[in-house]
Amino acid sequence: MEIIVTNESDIAIIAIKGRLDAVTVPQLEEQLTRWFEQPGTKLIFDLDGLEYISSAGLRVFLTTAKKMKARDGKMGMARLRENVKDVFTISGFIALIPAFDTLGAAQEAVR
Amino acid sequence: MLVKQMPARVESLHELLTFIRVEAKKRGFSESALGRIELVAEEALVNVFVHGYADGQGDVEVRCLVSDDPALTIEIHDRGVSFDPLSLADPDVHADLTKRKIGGMGVFLIRKMTDAVAYRREGNTNILTMTFRNR
Repeated sequence: MEIIVTNESDIAIIAIKGRLDAVTVPQLEEQLTRWFEQPGTKLIFDLDGLEYISSAGLRVFLTTAKKMKARDGKMGMARLRENVKDVFTISGFIALIPAFDTLGAAQEAVR
Repeated sequence: MLVKQMPARVESLHELLTFIRVEAKKRGFSESALGRIELVAEEALVNVFVHGYADGQGDVEVRCLVSDDPALTIEIHDRGVSFDPLSLADPDVHADLTKRKIGGMGVFLIRKMTDAVAYRREGNTNILTMTFRNR
């Protein structure tokens, strides 16, 4: 798995590529722990390159959404592949984290 | 029957999933079905890794049952503490962000994404059986 963090003005974009599973999840958790050390309030996950997600990955999205809510921030995710979207839908998480077809739409929503 | 046994820890996950994927592929499952099988298998295996052995030491065995019908049946065996994952209540998937609990999702995904799932205890062994139909 590869994680790339970029910043566009005050919006942080975290792009995840590859597999987010029980093996790789600690990598993402580490990145997010670091991100939460600073006071940012706008966060987008770019999931265009995410091929696979299991409940271990979902757990990270839920804890992140809770933390963002706690700091009154805005969070979204963009460009989910069909299989990844299925997992978010079945778990009900799709109703908790706004999902967008394009990165632009996600940026617009958290702006 | 094809069997693969490995230590019940997360480091074994990818090798076990590859084993399952290869067997499922031989049976002609589509790429999206393979993803679903892999996900369910991960959830079942991780449950064993996390809850299976009190001292963290033990093996997990994956069996791919061979049959004439175009389905794949996978059994996950472990000799850990007696535990029926299907006894867990489903999480409330309609809860809002504040009320939504972390955890319980793995077993929920297993229920939702298999065509059949069953647990049994045989002697000192937990056996979870999961069947996927090839549509």
